[in-house]
Amino acid sequence: MADKLLEVKDLKMYFHTRDGIVKAVDGVSYDLEPGQTLGVVGESGSGKSVTALTMMRLVPMPPGKVEGGEVLFRGKSLLTMKEDDIRKIRGNDIAMIFQDPMTSLNPVYRIGHQISEAIMLHKGMSKKQALNRSIELLELVGIPQAKNRIKDYPHQFSGGMRQRVMIAMALSCDPAILIADEPTTALDVTIQAQILELMEELQERTGTAIIMITHDLGVVADMADSILVMYAGRMVEFGTCDEVFYRPSHPYTWGLMDSIPRHDIEEKSALCPIKGQPPSLVNVPSGCAFHPRCPHAKEICRVQEPELRSIEGKHTAACHFAGDPGFTRTEMACAMEVTA
Amino acid sequence: MSELIRVEGLTKRFPVEQGVFSRLAPKYVSAVEDVSFSVNAGETLGLVGESGCGKSTTGRCVIRLTEPTSGSVVFEGRDALKLKGRDLQAYRRDVQIIFQDPYASLNPRFTIGEVVAEPLTIHGIGTHAEQIKRAKELLEIVGLNPEHTNRYPHEFSGGQRQRIGIARALALNPKLIVCDEPVSALDVSIQAQVLNLLDELQDELGLTYIFIAHDLSVVQHISDRVAVMYLGRIVEVADWRQLYVAPNHPYTQSLLSAVPVPDPNVQRTRKRILLEGDVPSPIDPPTGCRFHTRCPIAQLPKCAAETPELRSVGDEHLAACHFAKPFPIDESSSPLVDEELARAVIG
Repeated sequence: MADKLLEVKDLKMYFHTRDGIVKAVDGVSYDLEPGQTLGVVGESGSGKSVTALTMMRLVPMPPGKVEGGEVLFRGKSLLTMKEDDIRKIRGNDIAMIFQDPMTSLNPVYRIGHQISEAIMLHKGMSKKQALNRSIELLELVGIPQAKNRIKDYPHQFSGGMRQRVMIAMALSCDPAILIADEPTTALDVTIQAQILELMEELQERTGTAIIMITHDLGVVADMADSILVMYAGRMVEFGTCDEVFYRPSHPYTWGLMDSIPRHDIEEKSALCPIKGQPPSLVNVPSGCAFHPRCPHAKEICRVQEPELRSIEGKHTAACHFAGDPGFTRTEMACAMEVTA
Repeated sequence: MSELIRVEGLTKRFPVEQGVFSRLAPKYVSAVEDVSFSVNAGETLGLVGESGCGKSTTGRCVIRLTEPTSGSVVFEGRDALKLKGRDLQAYRRDVQIIFQDPYASLNPRFTIGEVVAEPLTIHGIGTHAEQIKRAKELLEIVGLNPEHTNRYPHEFSGGQRQRIGIARALALNPKLIVCDEPVSALDVSIQAQVLNLLDELQDELGLTYIFIAHDLSVVQHISDRVAVMYLGRIVEVADWRQLYVAPNHPYTQSLLSAVPVPDPNVQRTRKRILLEGDVPSPIDPPTGCRFHTRCPIAQLPKCAAETPELRSVGDEHLAACHFAKPFPIDESSSPLVDEELARAVIG
């Protein structure tokens, strides 16, 4: 593709706290093409949300500080542009859906008002036009009797319906990129299925690129074209959906895959969890951040931080041994011992 | 295997506070309605369902944290709901619970030694020194450092706290442990550790679990038998393999099809049965079959008029549906995913 929609290059976002420097995002790079879905996976505290928030300049600074890297949206740097300019992009070209639909809507304003606010601001429509557009949007996301419901307050909607309202709001200005931060984590599975289906359908119709931040590998398998795996603020692996699922190259990715039970197979799968716990971000282990938990760690892992190694095409992994012959998940399966 | 606990006709209704006219028309949230199941010694029964389906209330009624409105809980031949005084205390030693939120379920002012030894103190077992010794043993069993008895809960991570909660539940050598969403607040790698720990403890100590969770994959992994709940009622009970491979109730089928599988190729070919709308309010549940308002195969007026009883649809396999039929949901030949119906369902 000639035109890259979004390029993130070696992004670093540190928080300066009393306890020390928290390296929440430490060297993340990826790019996104129109209509693509990128899945960002990792456990809590791995920096997946902060990456997105940094891009949108929504991280309070201080304590946050961008220590390096850049984010280019259609060639323009989001991190250095003026506040006025980024406000024109935020919610307009890049929109965001948050995890908790219960708290991300303002409880004292009617739904119609909340949706039309952004439309009036970014598209310069009149109040009446904006309300009409809001009704269209609510219909688009499958809320029945949209005409009456724009007069309702958030508490009159269920969790799934509120998430639909959030999506309607995010889509109100036809964004080029939709960032969905754990959009279905707070929802029940049958409602999650509805929301995912809706997002896929809308993507097909509008050609929006989606950045899907989640900890659920099932959701990623369902939605993503490419996958970014994060650990302790760092990029661990990047590749297409198939590459990461079928030829994962980083021991952390193997560990994740071996930790999730599956309900669709007739035999019970043995779980081989990763030992220990995710590190504190104030005190990230030396060398490879994963080495204390990695069953394959060697001396070099302790002293030297691994570079991203190219496995095949765009598939990369940050491990000293990634891609070496014999260093594959199947051959080393379940070496992860069950210890506390 | 011998039956350890049998729950029959368990019903719990919570009164809803209303305005001045509440006396005229008292309203109830019918959280659990006529739930019956049994669990054999050494077995794990999984209880799954979406939020508000009554699975936690059922668990709480079983251990009498919540007093049920009616029904019976027969534990080792005696009705636990009628126990009083000394007998009730004995029952409380036999049944324990592990809670969902490891941040809220440990008293922040207690050291973890005190947390784990508290059940012993309450039941007056052993001297203080013996209790501390036992607490250390228990911490070791759940994979924590026994020297940490003097630390406070905030010094531990979520996964470690859940281990502390498990150690506390084990303190009185219970026979039955109700696990109420024990892993849903944990990250996947930690979740797998705790699931393996629960498995090991069951093998070593011969424990019986009632495992409550909303995550179908987790329940499949840990359970011997699984009961699916919807709006306060059990809609299907079966051996785990039966339930996951050949679900009979349309709700179970759509629930299973809604969970994304972490395998892109499988996911691409799977068909989702999308349910419309939300779960109705338990204050005013639908008549007849409570699922009929969202059911893809409901036939009116029968489904709206008659409450389906749990009936046998196979070997130890019960389903509460008038039209229960085995539909292997992944196969294209199955009636539910045939084109016409799928279109009608997905719309």
